[in-house]
Parts: sequence; C-alpha cells; structure tokens
Amino acid sequence: MIEVHVIDVPEFRAMVDTMREKPAVTISGPVKGYWTISATDELTFDRKAMKMKPAVWYGIFTGGLNGEVAHWGRDEVRVVGTSRSF
Amino acid sequence: MTEKLATRDDASSAKSFNEAMGVGTGDLAGVKHAVEDGIRLALHGVDHTARPTWKLNETVEFYRDVLGLPLVHAITARGWGPPGHHDFLHFFFDAGKGATIAFFYYIGSERPEKYAPEAHHFYFATHTAWAVDCEEELVTWKETLETRGIQVSPYTRHEILESIYFTDPNGYPVEITRRLRDTESIDEVDARLTMQAAMDVESEARAAGRLIEDIDTVWRRKAKLVNAYKEDAQ
Repeated sequence: MIEVHVIDVPEFRAMVDTMREKPAVTISGPVKGYWTISATDELTFDRKAMKMKPAVWYGIFTGGLNGEVAHWGRDEVRVVGTSRSF
Repeated sequence: MTEKLATRDDASSAKSFNEAMGVGTGDLAGVKHAVEDGIRLALHGVDHTARPTWKLNETVEFYRDVLGLPLVHAITARGWGPPGHHDFLHFFFDAGKGATIAFFYYIGSERPEKYAPEAHHFYFATHTAWAVDCEEELVTWKETLETRGIQVSPYTRHEILESIYFTDPNGYPVEITRRLRDTESIDEVDARLTMQAAMDVESEARAAGRLIEDIDTVWRRKAKLVNAYKEDAQ
C-alpha cells in the first residue's frame, strides 16, 4: 500500500484535488491537518495538471511518503509500493 | 537581570578573539535547554546583517546609489582590542523597519581566496532575504533593477514565499521576498514532524557511520510520524 500524506495548505491542495477522479485511489482526511492519498499499486502526479510551480514540485512529498519513487521527472512523478523500512 | 551596565564586560577589551566573539566549541553536551530554566528568550526582528567587503566604493555605490538604500550609520576604528585586528570601517544601509544591511571594510587587507564567491548552492545558502509587502512591490523591485542594469533572477515561488535574487558587487546573493500567506498551526506541526524525521534519520546514519542517502529516506520516516500523529487524534 502506498500512502502520501499531504499537508492541508493551499500550495499542496491540488495533489488531493487531482486524485479525486482516479478510480484506484483512496483519499481520506483531512485529519489534524493532513490528507492521505492511498493506492495499492502506484500513484502518478502531474505537475502541470496541478499547476504546481517547480520549487514546490521538488518538495511534493514533504508531507510524508510511504512508497518508492519509481520515476522522478520535471512534470511527472510516479511512486510505487515499497518494502523498505520507514 | 544581575549585571549593571557600567560593570558589564566590554568585548572590545577582550584579550583574545574567541573571548571577544563568544566563540564556543559547538559541543552541546551538558548545555541546558530552555524548558529547564523556564526563561523565555525572545527576538524582535533583524537589527542588521553584516558581511566583509573588499570593494568599498562599489559596495557603497551599489547599495546607496543603485538600490537607493540610505547610508544611515558608519563606524571607524583603529583595531578593536583583540590582537591582530585590522583597522576597519563598519557601515550600515537602511533596510526598513529598523533593520540595516551592514559591511565591514578591513583597512590594508586583501580578500583571502576562501572568501571568493562561488557558483555553488553551498555558497549561496548564506544570504539574507529582505521583505517587501506585496506582489506589486516585488514586481517593482525586479523591473526597476533590471532597467537600472542589474541582472535579476526570474521569480521563484517557494511554498510560502515568492522571491527574486541578484548579487551585489562582492558576489553576495541578495534575496527580495514577499510572504504568500501567513503560517498556520499546521505549518508548525508539519515542521516539527519533518525535522524530527530528518533528525532521527541523521542520528541513525551517524551511528552507522554513513550519510543520509536521500530525501526519500526522510519522506518515508515522515510518513511514519504523520501516521502516528494522526492516530493520536482518533
């Protein structure tokens, strides 16, 4: 299970909003200021769809990522599940 | 308060540089934390920043004449007590709200090579960000400086700041920034969890005799701490 925690502030909120329509993605929260985006296999974030500036994009998982970055690009990031320890 | 003004130590009379400048070892073993004595120390903004310059004319021209910041104070001194101290000038440009941008010019010295500017983020990490109040002011700064012939960076939107950067004649980076929003209590919570994750990972890496591998390692630990924090709420 992949989990991405998203701090509930304006600059990161598009991470949650752009995931709402995706079928294999669960969104919960915000609980005490954090949204949590979960998926079984993978999650892909699209920078342009989120209208996210590069300086924030490079810190996209600052809320916490239980997963592994499989692809790290200027406009797209894909994370997959990991067995690596927290 | 136990000391009276007239009887306090005067740093310029100190016998060594380390004594004059309060140079410690950096070792925190045995150093008390604020919670132990209950005394709440507080700061109230910037008085001044200070850096050395070996370009007196260019520095005054840049800050006073190009940026237009008033030169509001200048100190001159014949040495300063501790042995080997150069004669110097220490001068201050108004940076708003009582803060100043200050420089030291050490008479008869040449810039040591290690103080030469470098095109590297380690070097640029040492900078001061000066505040403007709104978007219009930031745009005015960028467009005006560019019209005056200064190379200015594109705008950068960080999480809660939008900034422009340029360098002074010494090669020092200057940042002009505006707040995009006020910080909320969740920002403080998040900062605490982020730094706890990173500090824990640093401690473990040190104990294993290695460096932290990547930010992903911190992000994974952060996820664990956020999970615990959220479960605490239920």
